[in-house]
Amino acid sequence: MKKIIVENLKYKYPLSEKLALNNVSFEIEQGEFIGVIGRNLSGKSTLCQAMVGLVPHFYKGAYGGKVIIDGLEVRNYSIADISLKVGIVFQNPFTQITGSKMTVYEEIAFGLENLGISRAEMINRIDFALNLLKIAPFKERSPFDLSGGQMQRMAIASIIAMKPEIIVLDEPTSQLDPEGSEEVFRAIQDLSKQGITVILAEHKMEKMAEFCNRILLLDDGKVVDFDVPEKVFSRDDLGEHGVNAPVYTRVCKALNKKKAGTNDYPVTLEEAVRVLGGMGL
Amino acid sequence: MITVSNLSYAYQKGNPVLIDIHLNIDQRSTAIIGQNGAGKTTFVKLLKGLLKPFEGEVFIQNQQVKNRTAAELAKIIGLVFQNPNDQIFKNKVLDEVMFGPLNMGIDKQQATENAMEALEMVGLHDKLDMNPHDLSLSEKKLLCIASVVAMDTNIIILDEPTIAQDYQGKETIKKVIKTLKEKNKLVMTIIHDMDFVAENFERTIVFNEGKVILDGDTRFVFAQKDILKSAHVEAPEITKLGEKLGYRKTFLTIEEFIDYKNQERNL
Amino acid sequence: MRSISLYTERNTVIHAMDPISKLFYILFALLIPIILPSIKVSIVCVVLGLIFLLVARVFKKTIPVFSFVFLILLTVIIIQGLFRPGNQTTLFHFGPFTLYKEGLMFAFGVAFRVINIVSAFMILILTTKPSDLVESLVRKGLSSKIGYVIISVFQIIPEMMSSMETITDAQRSRGMETEGNLQTRMKAFLPLLGPVILGSLANTKERAMALEVRGFNSKGPKTYLLEEKKYRYSKVVQWGILLGIACALAWRILV
Repeated sequence: MKKIIVENLKYKYPLSEKLALNNVSFEIEQGEFIGVIGRNLSGKSTLCQAMVGLVPHFYKGAYGGKVIIDGLEVRNYSIADISLKVGIVFQNPFTQITGSKMTVYEEIAFGLENLGISRAEMINRIDFALNLLKIAPFKERSPFDLSGGQMQRMAIASIIAMKPEIIVLDEPTSQLDPEGSEEVFRAIQDLSKQGITVILAEHKMEKMAEFCNRILLLDDGKVVDFDVPEKVFSRDDLGEHGVNAPVYTRVCKALNKKKAGTNDYPVTLEEAVRVLGGMGL
Repeated sequence: MITVSNLSYAYQKGNPVLIDIHLNIDQRSTAIIGQNGAGKTTFVKLLKGLLKPFEGEVFIQNQQVKNRTAAELAKIIGLVFQNPNDQIFKNKVLDEVMFGPLNMGIDKQQATENAMEALEMVGLHDKLDMNPHDLSLSEKKLLCIASVVAMDTNIIILDEPTIAQDYQGKETIKKVIKTLKEKNKLVMTIIHDMDFVAENFERTIVFNEGKVILDGDTRFVFAQKDILKSAHVEAPEITKLGEKLGYRKTFLTIEEFIDYKNQERNL
Repeated sequence: MRSISLYTERNTVIHAMDPISKLFYILFALLIPIILPSIKVSIVCVVLGLIFLLVARVFKKTIPVFSFVFLILLTVIIIQGLFRPGNQTTLFHFGPFTLYKEGLMFAFGVAFRVINIVSAFMILILTTKPSDLVESLVRKGLSSKIGYVIISVFQIIPEMMSSMETITDAQRSRGMETEGNLQTRMKAFLPLLGPVILGSLANTKERAMALEVRGFNSKGPKTYLLEEKKYRYSKVVQWGILLGIACALAWRILV
């Protein structure tokens, strides 16, 4: 089933002369894990925000084309309505804390209170989200009294509690240390296993190659490619689009080692070992 | 260039952040790595004189840090902050970069020259009259690097320079580090990006729970798998690949690995 | 914890009381001394306030606030006692100065009212979580947006303070002298404001987006995770306070 349909999406921020998104079209199936890559200012964040209606409702600006999320056309619904279908997690864990709640537990309830969820249901959902993101031990702490990784997992839990079927994450680990990033990546994988459709924008290509079913490459507001990681990362023109392939792909490319029986280079550590092993050992 | 002896620090009594640090930092470019909360930022603030040591001493080029204000130390040691929004406060790119040199008492003409050179290095020389707040986050970070480079200090510390940078941004920073090294400056960084450390820094110091648990040539450090693991640090991707393939050699860059493989094939 | 809230966790009758009843008490403490300006009434009110603070076991926490208030009141007492127009009855002399009874009585009247109001507010602030207070106001019909703004200020001010420290460090790092005499420090203060304000504006935009996607502008009715703090006698307390105010008014008019 098509979960997300984007058709000829064009968007220009107010006060800007350039199109931030220029004729973007793609479709995403239920349960897919999609990676969005591209240089800075290529339109990754704008696209993420278009999925949840922040573009255009929050920023205004000029908008053309369609984004249809699970049957709802984003342009015709409020952000609050869309938030029932799709949630978003941002880069900075600090600015996602509401600042009006005293504990992690209450913080996660914030969205549910706004949506008018009954108390019994709220408690169920919060417990589910706390456990899925493995932050139940901190539920009585102040939201500000957490490490970056814990804070970001709380932000994800706050979204997950709203039971969206799709979650969009815009560089959720860029401000975390390696351990914090690892915690968050693991959490995102768990979400995917739960059947949630995931859209992840990220610069860490090795992680993208490992997790994603398909990769959407953006440049200058346009879709350059939308395909499985091996295909996208095997492209010869990645550098021109401001992207570097995973280390493993670059090595295999330089040594001209393709995956057996294909025209593509390996993209993960395991695949690279399989292709490079055997010789010299 | 920097001698640290017996250095300890605590924000609250009984809760030490740095414990008995002894280090001799020489001309080699140096990366400081470790988990958040390991004491890296506190250490750098002590070097800069932004904090005063609890116990122990720091000498920079034979000057005792304790007896100098941070503003005086600014002439010998520069620090680029992690978040550019904490640093930027002029409304023109050029003025921002000239602020440091002018503060140090460099005359206006020389300050302009320094600033232009630094801006050229980071590729912002065609945006002199722009308002820094209209730049993108990665450009702002490059601007902050330029503002410190323009001060022409002998030591430059970069706090998390690669955060929010894409491929091109990282390439620019690489180039800046290389140029500074050629000018005989000591470049130090606090950083989580291990691939970047392996490619650009000669020496690596690992902090964990307020102590230095590993210190040496970057190649040596990234070979110490078990100690790295205890500090929650992962080796660079290429190092992991070499290791998985069972090579004894510790690889730091893709080029090294490819050369090695090609030689192996030619044997 | 990074919050400027003065709330002190205790398990007392006063803590168990709902925030609205405490607001009623503030009203009481404000109005009674105005309706009945006798100094005796003021003293009774002050004693009442102090008893509540003692019962709530937060009296110690009020000492810094009260010492600040006393400092100001002391100057009022001295100035009024010495110089109030209409001073007639001499109490005593010291040096060239004479202290008069009229001014002193007037100043004491002011002092008791101030102490009275301050203690009423302290009862509210020290024994009520800010979030509970705002939540009960929202339940009573306050816009949830205004409620949010009030409550987030408690958290965001400490955030601004810490970013101010970082910015100072950044400027010292580039050779700006911030240590030393008052003039140097004043000169160093102004350039701080730009980054602090711009930084918090940028954060505000990000936070606004984060709130939006969590249904902040949802049109439907809100629910609450925490059960409304119900105090068994809140109706009694609130009606009692209103009755007290009414009686005071009646007394003032009739007697």
